[in-house]
This record gives sequence, structure tokens and C-alpha cells, in this order.
Amino acid sequence: MSSTVISFQNVSFRYTNSESSSLSNIDLDIKKGECVLLCGASGCGKTTVTRLINGLIPHYYEGELSGSVDVCRMDIKCTPIETVSEQVGSIFQNPRSQFFCVDTESEIVFGCENMSLPEEEIRRRLEGTIERFSLQDLQGRSIFELSGGEKQKIACAGVHCMCPDIIVMDEPTSNLDLDAIYGLRNIIAEWKADGKTIVIAEHRLEWLKGLCDRAILLKSGGISLEITGEVLFSRSKAEMNAIGLRSSIGLPDHLDTPCGFFAKDGKGRGGKALHLENFRYSYHSKTALDIKSLDIPAGSVTAVVGHNGAGKSTFVKCLCGLQKRFKGTVTIDGKKYRSRQMLKICYMVMQDVNHQLFAETVLDEVMLGMETEDEAQALDLLKKLDLYEMRDRHPMSLSGGQKQRAAIASAILAGKRILIFDEPTSGLDYNSMVQTAELIGSLYKDITVLIVTHDMELIERCCTHILHIEDGRIHEVVL
Amino acid sequence: MAQLLSADLKSRGLVLDPRSKLALMLSIVFFSMGGVGSDIKAVVLISKLLGLIPIILLLTAKQWKKALAYGGAYAVLTLVSLELLPVMNGGIKIFLTICCVGVLRFMPGLIMGAYILSSTTVSEFIAAFHRMHIPQQITIPLSVMFRFFPTVMEEMQAINAAMKMRDIRLFGKNAGKLIEYRLIPLLVCSVNIGQELSAAALTRGLSAPKKRTNICRIGFHLQDIAAFVTALSPAAVIICNRFEVIA
Repeated sequence: MSSTVISFQNVSFRYTNSESSSLSNIDLDIKKGECVLLCGASGCGKTTVTRLINGLIPHYYEGELSGSVDVCRMDIKCTPIETVSEQVGSIFQNPRSQFFCVDTESEIVFGCENMSLPEEEIRRRLEGTIERFSLQDLQGRSIFELSGGEKQKIACAGVHCMCPDIIVMDEPTSNLDLDAIYGLRNIIAEWKADGKTIVIAEHRLEWLKGLCDRAILLKSGGISLEITGEVLFSRSKAEMNAIGLRSSIGLPDHLDTPCGFFAKDGKGRGGKALHLENFRYSYHSKTALDIKSLDIPAGSVTAVVGHNGAGKSTFVKCLCGLQKRFKGTVTIDGKKYRSRQMLKICYMVMQDVNHQLFAETVLDEVMLGMETEDEAQALDLLKKLDLYEMRDRHPMSLSGGQKQRAAIASAILAGKRILIFDEPTSGLDYNSMVQTAELIGSLYKDITVLIVTHDMELIERCCTHILHIEDGRIHEVVL
Repeated sequence: MAQLLSADLKSRGLVLDPRSKLALMLSIVFFSMGGVGSDIKAVVLISKLLGLIPIILLLTAKQWKKALAYGGAYAVLTLVSLELLPVMNGGIKIFLTICCVGVLRFMPGLIMGAYILSSTTVSEFIAAFHRMHIPQQITIPLSVMFRFFPTVMEEMQAINAAMKMRDIRLFGKNAGKLIEYRLIPLLVCSVNIGQELSAAALTRGLSAPKKRTNICRIGFHLQDIAAFVTALSPAAVIICNRFEVIA
């Protein structure tokens, strides 16, 4: 039972095109049936460890590898990746890019088909998988109409069908809401009961409480701490934060509170209000949003929370003026704005910020929307946002956090009054989350911020108000 | 938009084998669009009827709106070209003729393409190609393309939304750079997605040299025989005709 299935001996790795090594002198043994958590700041090497286990390193991502990695008694260096793939299943972070097929059933059996299993066997496994994870209502659907959580379920089903002994997951929850995360937890619990070995690289930790046997903290490519899951989850929030880990222990779960609009601590930043009226919208005669009127204090930072499909994204799309046929209005300083005019005063920083960077240099990018081009003002802001050194670089060459800041700078300079963030901290480690929170908190007072998020730590740090939507409605308005 | 190019399995009505669809498509391209054999009256008549097939197929798939729009446009244009054009003259006639003939020729092929994409799953395509002994080097890139179109559509939507918020639009002050602004994020996102997609596919054994199984069941039924007869009929007429000419 307790035989070692994954063994790293003195492993170092450096990606081609990278100056520093990603992993240095790692020794690690993982036993059969263990559930191991890899944690640590972004860039600490945890993704690299998962890639060494599933063979993507060295067979897909190139670089200098030394030491030896044995997975199920196979030397990863000289075993072809298709052989590894029969023993090691992988779940990735981005649900958009881990699907090869267009419909759910073909997707679930994709791996089995590649293994050239006989047709009857594949059908048997498909039925077993659907039964076990109750996927009946996802059968025969197009992948493109599934939610993030449903996509992740299908990915798990695809892995399950191949019956691997080891499953590695690379930040599997960063695009999921709490309900979906607990769905994923149940699947992992089933796998654990089957005696499968599970390795998870993650930022969010709470959901693994009671599942994870051992936690390994990585720091700049080395193992800095190795403790049992029990010890890890007995630590306080402050202790977790001190070693750079995220923790929402003891924070209020705003999804538990009733629907409505609240000041988080009873004292908002005040100021005049944005008056939203007639925020109603329906898709195919199904009501997605139904808010008669709502006042949001100008200069406040509001967290928009709610379960999946509650209408959060419809709400912010309507507010931005991106929703066609939307009839509601927003009144600011006595001036009434209709949907199309909202585009001029609103800006949304999207979850994938790559969609909204267009120009050739950072400076051009931020000046793109300025009414009158004022380079001095732009450079001033870039200094404030720590982007001044990058002003002549191509925006696409920046890091994730820098891209986010460039998008914010372009919105401020375009004179936007309302800034909306869509999950700005998904997949961010503790320190990056703190930075984002501080940045949002430091925005000019005349900018009103709304953040669509599931991140209770972020809300705790920078939000002044909570807007809780369920079924497209808010019931109670308390100011 | 993404739905346009991906199959909706629940409501696809009459199920044709992908090979029958391909045969119909080829026939439409050759005879309706290419005008092969247009010197024979019977072939011209059949090719007109072939133009109606995509509409019938859309109707069986319960895609009422599309069927109605295409059917209506097709009928109006046919009427114009038969009734109105002969009594007109001058520049308008030339212009209308070009429009009518162009659209009438290309439309059936385009509609058929839309129908095929909206009614066939990737696995069915791969299975059909496999039965036709087309090598994997061709089928796998093709199947990736199917997966990629809807993804690119999704990306485009997000980029369009972002451009609206930045007030980059036609006739705006940055109109000259519209294409560049759209292409750069699209390329970056597509490359990222492509890389992640390849990695995910490799961890699921796509590179295995063994022959893939395909659990998708395709095969010929009564409706497929009808489809093949229809698809081959213009060719048959042409051949008969040529033999008579020779004989």
C-alpha cells in the first residue's frame, strides 16, 4: 500500500529562455494513495513539479533538466509522453483550453480512444463514469455552453475514464465559484477512496481541508516546508499569510448573508450616489436581472457577489452598456445616462486582460482613449502605477499584474467614472492579491469601483460595500 | 455566435451519415455552383432542385428561422431572375443580374456548409474520414480546426466588447487601426490557447502512434441512400446524355 509511486531525486530544471532555474535540487517522494498539496507564491515552481509528473516536461516544455524523476517506475526522461499519459491524468487551470472535442461525450472518451481501447470497453467506462459522477444532465451537450464548473467536471470525467493511478491538478479551482469547488472536492474524495495518488498545485487551500494528507511549500524552486495536512489547516490566518499562503479562515462568507446592498462596516466612503434605475434584462424570455432601483455611493468599492448564474455578469454588462436591448438608466450628478452612453463612462477590466490591450507600447496604450492627449499626465500616472520603466515595451510582453495595471491606467486616463473588475484575483497568490487590493483601494475618490468576485480575502481588504445578487434580484436595500 | 459552428445534438432531426452530407455538398458545388452540364436542360432543373436540399435539411433539423430566411431569399431571387430581369434593361439589369446570379449560385453551397457544421460532431467527421481511409495526418488537423473556430469566435466577442469600451469603432478617431487592434489580442490569445490545448491533448495520449478507437457509430440508412441517389443524379443524367450523343 505504501509504495512510492513518484520520486524526485535531486531534480533541477530551467526553462529555455528563462534566466533563473524553476526548480533546484528537489528531493520528493510521494506514496501510493497520498493526496499531496503543492503551495507557494506564483513562480515558486509548483506548476513545474506537476509538469514533471505528467511528462509535459521534458516532452513539451523544453529546458535543462538534471536529476531523475520516476513516476510509476518509469524514468520520465526516456518514457514517451503517451505512455506516461496512461498512468497520469492531468487537470488544468483554464477550462477554455483543455478541451479537444466540441461535445461532452466525445470529450470524456477522448483519452480512451487515444489509448486504442476496444469500443465496448470505452462504452462501459463512459457509462460507469457518467453514473459515478452523476453527469446525466451534461450528456450530449456542447462544451461551449457549459459553465466553468461543468467544464471542470467533464475534464475530471475524461481523466477518470482513462483510469490513471496518479492525477495531477494545476490550480484547478482558479476559475470556479465555491459551489463548483465543492463539486470538485467530492470528485477528489471519490478518487482518494479508490486509492489514487493525487497531486494538487493550488493557491486556494480551504477546500482541501480533510482531503490533503501532506502539504509541501515551495519557495523559489526549493522545498521550504513540509507538513501534514492536519498541521497546515490548524494554522491561523495570520500564520498562513506570514508564509505567503492565502486563507479565508474566520472571514465572513458574504454568500451566506441575505441578498441586498450593504455597507460592509457601516461606514461607506460616502459622497453622492449613482442612481441605477430599471435594471431589468431577460434572455429568451427568462429573467436574468430584475432590479428596480439601486443607489451606489460615488467613490465606493462594491463587491458584487452571488452564486453562479445569479446574474452578476449580466448586471455588470448592463452597467457597462455592453448588453444590447438594455433599457435601464444610470443617473450621476443629475445627468441621466442610457445604455450606449454608459460605454463612455464605464470600463471593465476583464478576467483575461489580454483581450483589451491593443497598442504597440504601454504609453500609446494608456493614451489611446484620452480626450486630449496629455503625455505628462499619462507619464505621471504610469509612475504612480509602477509602469514608468515599461512605457516603451509592448503591453503584451508585460507580466499579468502589469497588464492589469496598464488596463486600469487606460481607463483612468480615458476619464472613466466607473471601473468594473471581473474576478481580478482569480489565480493570484497572497502577495499579488494584496497588491491588487491596495491598488484598487488607492484609486481616485471620484471613481466608483465594482468588483465581481468570489474572493472573500479581497473583499475583506478593499471593499466598502457588498451587493449580493441571487436570481437576478436584490431583496433588501440597507444603506 | 459560437453556437453557429458547433453541433447541437438534441435537435438535429434527420440524421445523415457525414459521407452523405459530403456527397450532397460536392454535388451542389459541382452542379448548382459550378454549373457543370448546364447545356442539358434536365441537369439545370436538377441543379435548381439541389439548391433546395439544404433548406429541406435545415427544416428537418428544426432550424426554422434559418430555413425561412434562406428559403425566402432564394425564392425572391429566383423570381427576380425569372420574371423581372427579362423585362428590364440598362445598367440596373446588369447590376441585378450579377447580384442574382452570384447569390443564387453561391447560396446553396454556403447554406449546406452551415447545415453540415451545425449538425455534425467532430467525432462523426473523424469516423467518416477514417472509413474513407483518409490518413490521420489530415483528419487530426481538421478536427482541431473544428474545435478552434468556436473558440476564436468567443475570443472575438470579448475583444469586440473591450473595443467598444475603449471607443475604438468605425468612423472613430482610431478607425484606421481597427484591424490591427483586433488582430493583435486575437493572435496572442489564440497562441496561448493553442499551446495550452496541445499540452492538454498530449497528457491524454493524442501523440500515441497506435490506431485510435472511435466509439462514434456512423453508417448508412435509408435516408442516406436517398441522399446519394439525389447527389449522383445530375452526373448520371450527364453520362446518359453523353452516351446518347455518342451513340
